[in-house]
Amino acid sequence: MATQLLSRPEEKTERRARKVTERQRPLWLLAPGGILMVLVILIPLALALWISLIDLDQYTLRRWVEAPFIGLANYAESLDAGLLHSIWISVSFALIATIVTVPIGIAAALVTQNAYRGRGLVRAVFLIPYVLPSFVVATVWRTMLQPDGIVNSLLGQENSLWLSGSRSYWTLILVEIWAAWPFIYLMSLAALQSVDHEVHEASAVDGVTWWPKLIKVILPYLRGPVLLACLLATLNHINNFTLPFVLFGAPAPDNVNVMPMLVYVTSFQGLRFGLSAAMAVASLIIIAIPLFVYLRAVRLDVHEEGGKR
Amino acid sequence: MSANAEATRLLPRPMLVTLTVLLCAMVLVPISYIVLASLNSDVGVASGEFWPSSFSLESYRKIWTTADLSTGILNSIIVCGLTAIASALLGTTTAYVLVRYKFWGRLTILRGLVGLQSIPGTLMLLPVFVLFSSAGNYLGLTVVGTRWGLFVAYLTFALPFSTWVMVTYLRGLPRELEEAARTEGASTLVILWRIIMPLSLPAIVVAGIFAFLLGWNDVLFASVLTRPETHTAAVALQVFGASQEGGALPVYSQMMAAALVCAVPVVLLYLVFQRYLVGGLTAGGVK
Amino acid sequence: MRTRKIMALAGATVLAAALTACGGGDDSGGGSGSGKTLDVLIGANTQYPEEFQAWQKSISDKFKAQTGATVKFETFATANDELTKIQTSVVAGSGPDVYAVGTTMTPTAYSTGAFVKMGDDEWKKIGGKDKFNPATLGISGPDENNQVGIPWVSRPFVMAYNTELLKAAGIDKPATTWDELTQQAKQLTKGDQHGLAIAYKDNFDPWKFVWGMSVQAGNPLVDGKTARLQDPTVQKAYQTYFGWLTNDKVVDPAAVGWTNPQALAAFAKGKTGYFMLTTTTATNSLEQGAVKGKWAFALLPTVPPGATTRPANGVEAASILSGDNLLVADYSKNKDLAFQYVKLITDPEVQLDYYQKFGNLPANASALQTLASDQRLAPVTEAAKKSVATPFTGGWSDIQLALTNVAVQSLPDLAKGSLSPAQIDSRIATAQKSAQSALDRAK
Repeated sequence: MATQLLSRPEEKTERRARKVTERQRPLWLLAPGGILMVLVILIPLALALWISLIDLDQYTLRRWVEAPFIGLANYAESLDAGLLHSIWISVSFALIATIVTVPIGIAAALVTQNAYRGRGLVRAVFLIPYVLPSFVVATVWRTMLQPDGIVNSLLGQENSLWLSGSRSYWTLILVEIWAAWPFIYLMSLAALQSVDHEVHEASAVDGVTWWPKLIKVILPYLRGPVLLACLLATLNHINNFTLPFVLFGAPAPDNVNVMPMLVYVTSFQGLRFGLSAAMAVASLIIIAIPLFVYLRAVRLDVHEEGGKR
Repeated sequence: MSANAEATRLLPRPMLVTLTVLLCAMVLVPISYIVLASLNSDVGVASGEFWPSSFSLESYRKIWTTADLSTGILNSIIVCGLTAIASALLGTTTAYVLVRYKFWGRLTILRGLVGLQSIPGTLMLLPVFVLFSSAGNYLGLTVVGTRWGLFVAYLTFALPFSTWVMVTYLRGLPRELEEAARTEGASTLVILWRIIMPLSLPAIVVAGIFAFLLGWNDVLFASVLTRPETHTAAVALQVFGASQEGGALPVYSQMMAAALVCAVPVVLLYLVFQRYLVGGLTAGGVK
Repeated sequence: MRTRKIMALAGATVLAAALTACGGGDDSGGGSGSGKTLDVLIGANTQYPEEFQAWQKSISDKFKAQTGATVKFETFATANDELTKIQTSVVAGSGPDVYAVGTTMTPTAYSTGAFVKMGDDEWKKIGGKDKFNPATLGISGPDENNQVGIPWVSRPFVMAYNTELLKAAGIDKPATTWDELTQQAKQLTKGDQHGLAIAYKDNFDPWKFVWGMSVQAGNPLVDGKTARLQDPTVQKAYQTYFGWLTNDKVVDPAAVGWTNPQALAAFAKGKTGYFMLTTTTATNSLEQGAVKGKWAFALLPTVPPGATTRPANGVEAASILSGDNLLVADYSKNKDLAFQYVKLITDPEVQLDYYQKFGNLPANASALQTLASDQRLAPVTEAAKKSVATPFTGGWSDIQLALTNVAVQSLPDLAKGSLSPAQIDSRIATAQKSAQSALDRAK
């Protein structure tokens, strides 16, 4: 029956839809979410912007409304304090982690597509790294990666350093991958479910073997959600504070001094709130620019897409 | 093997098995270390044992007093659960408007929702706290230290993401079902409740899970916006981190035990809800 | 399908109701004493959690009997958490009434200007300034007239040594100079034994060594508004500290990755001569290890490396002034109650009881005196008397961080086994820069 519905001529429904939509647009549905986001995100963001322009530190915190206005001095200082280096580390780490987690996540979704005995358990197992509190994941890996920890004993290496030195960057990436791939998995799973049964049957009838079917038929369905997942995962990796902080502590080795660490240490250990706000805002701008370029390039316009892609 | 299952098989069997085994191993090897460590003693784990020299459930007994874990888990479930539900629902309604209707500013909102995801939590911490405590000082509305305050904060952070999950999913829903309902005079709310939500259950479950986990994992905001009675599990677990400083043996084993205990509610929830992940478009689902 | 929907709705309603049910919120009743609650922020205790909860309850009961008000304890997990709590409370102008702040963090808390300065009246309310061990007042404020910190407990740093191993090596008493220590450590290192257990990766240990050696050589690290990190004394300190691993080879190479608890665990196995930096809080853990009954405390060396006696301007600093101070918040509406609480827990019986249960030395002078007869504690009480305060400046946490950073960035080189003076120098130069800028901004 679905196939009959979908093969109806699109023209008439399009025209009718347009008339209907212009008349009764329930824009009020946007209100609850909108109000919340203005209150809890936009206003504090404006406040953070203000903080970045004033000299707010431990000495002026008490009467923060009266803290002196120093314009862009904080921004200038943040460049000196190694902000660009931190942003570079954050972005590169995030991109590598995302790129590696995509095949893993998709593979996991493909593997649990069909029902078999014990699938529910396998799905739950897949979810575990994502479900464990990140503080715990970081502590466990930190324990395992000590010079006299079990990773070294299993690999037969005595006292090789994972948590300091040149390898620490790759350690961070590895642990992040281990903890974050279920995110891509979940998105792929939901997307995979939207594949119509008819598609599978059509491929079977056409006698398509698994590899071409996968590449030409199934994966295109996943493209949209997975791309979105990649975008969001990258942003999450960039902003991930707990993992590097618990894994390496502060002060951290130079090559894992990611941006959230820098902001946190400056703000909550160094008590220089103005400076850290400037750092965070600056990094936000630096990251937002390519982000918006990307968003314009990708067709976000979803209005004309009804039915299958 | 029925023809249906055969058709929907995506990978050849040997590949299926290998991949499953590999993925499970990747997850389970460190997990097995956690489980074994939780059954060991604190001293044993500190001296680097993988296989415990002696098995004991001591740690599982101790964690409830070392950290206020029971209150923490209960609070976490309450706050995160409501966040998940509210986020999924609000996300669906917002996404529906964004997907089905044209209006000025639609694209900006869509892009903005993604852009909001790039804001680091460490930037928002102090301003959000200032905002909430000002509400307390000037409007007499106690927000800091209540579960409501945390709920509102988490909901707001989870909303952009949940909305986006629903947007990508709703894009793929055929309009015909809604059109049919509309010609029968159904209002938007009825369409949402009766048609859209049942059809998009897989996405709603995913959006809900993510919203839940966002709150579950958060430490920064929970530590600042709660008081001892409203601590979440994440804050309760911080106590174990404290033991890494100072002149005592760290309570590794208890930490692992607490971690597993904290993971259990979420895994259970997932097991309960996962049947909804196998929805897919029901052919001809017109009521 | 219907029933499932109803159940889902019911579940959601229950959750929503639970959200409001007994949710926290601020609590400050009116009236005098009775019905009021005093909020106290205190560090969590993971070693003795049940005893700690029992102690909290007994204190609250005692306080209620005295004043009619109850004490509500709020715990913080790490020093960072406490710092965050202080900041958020200062910004909001509300929060705990009494804070238990670590001594090294007292200057930072002081710099916010949010805590009550103890004048003569205030000292009288808590039982008088003289009831405290004079050394403990060293970090209560920048000077005598501007003190905010009320000493509560002390945790002076000492070293622990393995009595058996020392005897077997023919050493009759622990070293009193750093050079002597290195010598003894070399004697103790043979086979699978090591001379010293040091936590190179700890975020709090390294700077204490550097501070100690520098102060003993006459360099207080902060001179007014000048940072004196780029100084031969500091150079020598780092060289000695790292040299134990790279040149003298008296430390287990795995120590590059050790935090203090791990170094403690290594010492507890019984194959190490000295455990270099510890406090009485480690007693329990040491008694659990293989080294049980075979260890003792000793004063840390007080003669700088490269010398046999202390130079004229050197200070006999056996330990940093370490412990907890109590600070009363300026925004508190229960200041008198707060002072009564402080009086209660700084009185001799409560202080001694706290020591018995948790190993923190009393700051109360008479209570400390009664412990002086305990032989095993003799080095610790001596360390308490010979503690020297770290510089009292709002920029100290930055300076501490800078000193630690030198160690952190040197770890990879340590792991490789060699560290040149030039490398140490360049890192010290970076530390000097950030320390100086922190001091420049200090008000």
